[in-house]
Amino acid sequence: MSSPADPVKPPPTRPKGHRPVVFDDPAIDQLHAAYVTLATELAVAFERIDTLERLLERHAGVTREEIEGFEADGAVAESRATRRADLAQRLLRPFREFREDQIARAEHARSEPGRAPDEPSHGS
Amino acid sequence: MTQFKQHGMLPATTHDEASRQEFVSALRGHLSGRLMPGNYRVFHERVEPAFKARTGRNPESEHEVRELMTRNPFYQFWSAMQRRSQEMLWESVIDPTERQLPALIDKARKLGARPLPGKRKGTLRLDPKLEVPRYHTAADIHLQPGGYHTDFTADDIAAGAIYDKGINLYMGGGLGEENNLTGDTLVAYIRKAHPDFAPRSILDMGCAIGNSSVVWAREFPKARVHGLDVGAPILRYAHARAQALGVAVDFSQQNAEHTDFPDGSFDLVVSHIVLHETSKSALVRVLAESRRLLRPGGLMLHLEIPRGRTHMQKFMFNWEAYNNNETFSRYMTDLDLGGEALKAGFAPDQVRVDQFTPELDDTQKNYGDEFFWNILVGRR
Repeated sequence: MSSPADPVKPPPTRPKGHRPVVFDDPAIDQLHAAYVTLATELAVAFERIDTLERLLERHAGVTREEIEGFEADGAVAESRATRRADLAQRLLRPFREFREDQIARAEHARSEPGRAPDEPSHGS
Repeated sequence: MTQFKQHGMLPATTHDEASRQEFVSALRGHLSGRLMPGNYRVFHERVEPAFKARTGRNPESEHEVRELMTRNPFYQFWSAMQRRSQEMLWESVIDPTERQLPALIDKARKLGARPLPGKRKGTLRLDPKLEVPRYHTAADIHLQPGGYHTDFTADDIAAGAIYDKGINLYMGGGLGEENNLTGDTLVAYIRKAHPDFAPRSILDMGCAIGNSSVVWAREFPKARVHGLDVGAPILRYAHARAQALGVAVDFSQQNAEHTDFPDGSFDLVVSHIVLHETSKSALVRVLAESRRLLRPGGLMLHLEIPRGRTHMQKFMFNWEAYNNNETFSRYMTDLDLGGEALKAGFAPDQVRVDQFTPELDDTQKNYGDEFFWNILVGRR
């Protein structure tokens, strides 16, 4: 037994044991794990926004109707549009890179006729 | 929404930590109630007919079902989500525990030493020399990082604090406001099947945080209740938790396969979904030890989860064996619990296996399109 004055060490954050791979491509397992985390953090943010709205209503007199009826115009609308486009850009980046990769591989296959071409891409 | 009682040993949560826990709990409820049943539909409506069309027969074993289902995209999706939700469940309780660990350890020390008003206080007996069995050390059961038995710091209680809130999120709050469901289940059974039974000494094997031990102590206030487990941090927490709840329980760090209690020490020996966390050989030793510890006329009650009747159910109930570090539990499929009790020395007329269907809603069933508890009953 050590004394209570010793620094407290935290528990580990990863369990001992093999993590099963569910999908044929382990990258899909990672993608699933990441988006469940994303959904959780979104729920956390929603709840914080809800708390803020209720406190604003209670203490600052900002009503729900005001929030619902808020219209973004001029510079506010512009800044929001930029932010939406930025999010779309970031979100779709892996898909864009995947598509470019597919095209590059198909072109490579065409330039080397002896090799089977990749499957055609399904839209993009 | 998880209704959970904030007793003195539970870590407090920040706004975001609480939201994270509530979401994980809701996600698990959704996975159980809405997505999991889809596996049975996919199997019966697509996978099995396709297999039959190809081979002229239905799948004939759990193994064959596993071969087919693990390649099915719907199952893969559900399984990936189920696994991730389990990991996130622990992550969501580790954060607040880690943040408050020094204060929690201090609180546990004080609660442990505190007398209980008007009654004897509970005790804690640890054995640093106890060898933790391989079925605990091979992998961290249920993916709880560090398992239930590892001390990472002096007077550690982290494993207990993490387990307490974690198992409640596991069943979307279904374990009750003090994780009392499994204890309540056996109490209800004993009240119905043995209404006049009034035990004076009770042993709860594999008691973990003593959530069921406390139920028994409250139900039979004249009885002396002992709880044993192999994990030190979880027992320190159990002791402090029982003290915080004002209930006297005597906890000791021991292996249920061979305890240091004298023959015939107890009127009642119980365990709550513990047997499947041991190994096939350990199981018989646990049952033999239960028998040794019973007084003539004493009762043994071991509560167990279902393992499935059809090949598909067996495959689904073994999801945790393959994906949730219930590494040793596979042996329970098709195992005759009553037969194991005979191997442990009980006579055929002293043993029975009863089934008990709890009132769980669909969000709490996890793996089954039907659910019933198995209760292994032995009478000395």
